[in-house]
Amino acid sequence: MIISVSALKILIVTATLVVAAAPLILLILWVLDKKGGKIW
Amino acid sequence: MTGDTAILDANLGWMILALFSVVWVWLGWWLGRRAADLEGFMLAGRKVGLALGTATAMATWVTSNTTMAAPQLALQMGIWGMVGYSLGSIGLILFAPLARRIRALMPNGFTSGDYIRLRYGHTAWRVFLGISLFYAFGWLVSLGMAGGVVINALTGIDYHLGMSVILWVCVAYTLLGGLRAVIGTDFLQSLIILTGVVILAFLALDRVGVEEMHASVIEERPELLNLLFPAAIMFLFNNLLFGIGEIFHSNVWWSRAFAFREGVGFKAYLIAGLFWAPVPIVAGFLALTVPALHLNIPAADMVGPLVAGKLLGEGGAILVFIVIFSALASSLDSLLAATSDLILTDIYKGHVRPQADSAELARAARWVVLGLGLLTWLLCWPRLTTLAELLYFTGAFVASTIWPVAAGLYWRSINPQGATLAMLAGTGIGLASYFLIGFYVAALVSAAVSMLIVLASTWLAPRSFEWGQLNPQPAP
Repeated sequence: MIISVSALKILIVTATLVVAAAPLILLILWVLDKKGGKIW
Repeated sequence: MTGDTAILDANLGWMILALFSVVWVWLGWWLGRRAADLEGFMLAGRKVGLALGTATAMATWVTSNTTMAAPQLALQMGIWGMVGYSLGSIGLILFAPLARRIRALMPNGFTSGDYIRLRYGHTAWRVFLGISLFYAFGWLVSLGMAGGVVINALTGIDYHLGMSVILWVCVAYTLLGGLRAVIGTDFLQSLIILTGVVILAFLALDRVGVEEMHASVIEERPELLNLLFPAAIMFLFNNLLFGIGEIFHSNVWWSRAFAFREGVGFKAYLIAGLFWAPVPIVAGFLALTVPALHLNIPAADMVGPLVAGKLLGEGGAILVFIVIFSALASSLDSLLAATSDLILTDIYKGHVRPQADSAELARAARWVVLGLGLLTWLLCWPRLTTLAELLYFTGAFVASTIWPVAAGLYWRSINPQGATLAMLAGTGIGLASYFLIGFYVAALVSAAVSMLIVLASTWLAPRSFEWGQLNPQPAP
């Protein structure tokens, strides 16, 4: 049973978008922690 | 994998190594300059916030293996290779509630060894220490060796020089700043790794595209896109349990549970797991572009860097070198710090100097980091075995601890004898299956045996444990 092109595309594109969002989320969390004085 | 595959000039490689080495060591010193006491050095003062907590969990779990072995597995096992690798995230996600429980039950705890000793007594503790230290050394040596091998493969720099540089840089900043240095550098390293991987993925999608990738793989290696690839499916479940075993028992993750601010552990591990899951897929699918790019792959574990070099030329080679260097450092430093904590607390204070006070331990902590770095360096020097072999060998060990660790945090009735036997028999039978069947079943068998023993022994001889016993004394 071979994976279809569309299923492969969904898998790869979704994974890439989630990984692309990760650094932004980390930076947002950092800003929120910084504002709350909770970095360390 | 040898210097024959070099995609980057050695001089450029040295410049990048020098630049990042200076940055990490300076940052380690700067972040750790106020971490003088034992809790500050070992546990970053137990006040790590959500941003740093999430980043350190992610960066530590993204090792050189994630960035190098995920494409390799995709090349060998296809879709299930990279999806199976991404199931490593389940360990992080499942550890989220455990981290909250650990922080609540052991607010003054230092190591995973503390927990096993207080929960199951000295025999189980020693068995656990054997497993944990074997795994830690296996991972440390495989990371140190991977550093040398990867640097050699990418730049042609001699294995011994590359391995020594990356190992001693990590030792230096861990020594200077303890866990604060490790976690602070992990934040930057995680940003570098994630950004680098995404750039490569976007380029691959732009230059090759999924349709062309799919068509060329169907033509040359159709089995890679087969959803019913038996060995790959077995690998998927084995990797899942291996990852859970690694995270549940290892002091790398326990020390963070102790170090995170109250209320942070659950969220940090959950977010880290959710964002880590797609990383092996993004790094792994690069291997599926090989047929379309008409690349000749001399060594399967070089597929990621070679694809990057082909897509981006020298820029791609530099990018992949920086990503791999960051991935290696972020895991190596965490493991150095956590293993040193285990040796200091459970071996030095637990077995050698029970009367040692906090000030003595704070002094000894630096010597332990230095000694561990030296020992790792000596073990890495001969370049004895391949990274994957050494790492999968430990699967039988760590998977045997899943049930004693996790069930012991929630069920009062688990008894020490059952927990000890579960770890011993799980490891033994898991190892036997490793040699008799294959690497891809070792963790699976070990976890199953351990589970059966824990359940049977608890049913036969239940014990009533008082949770307060896990928090008996102030910090050592």
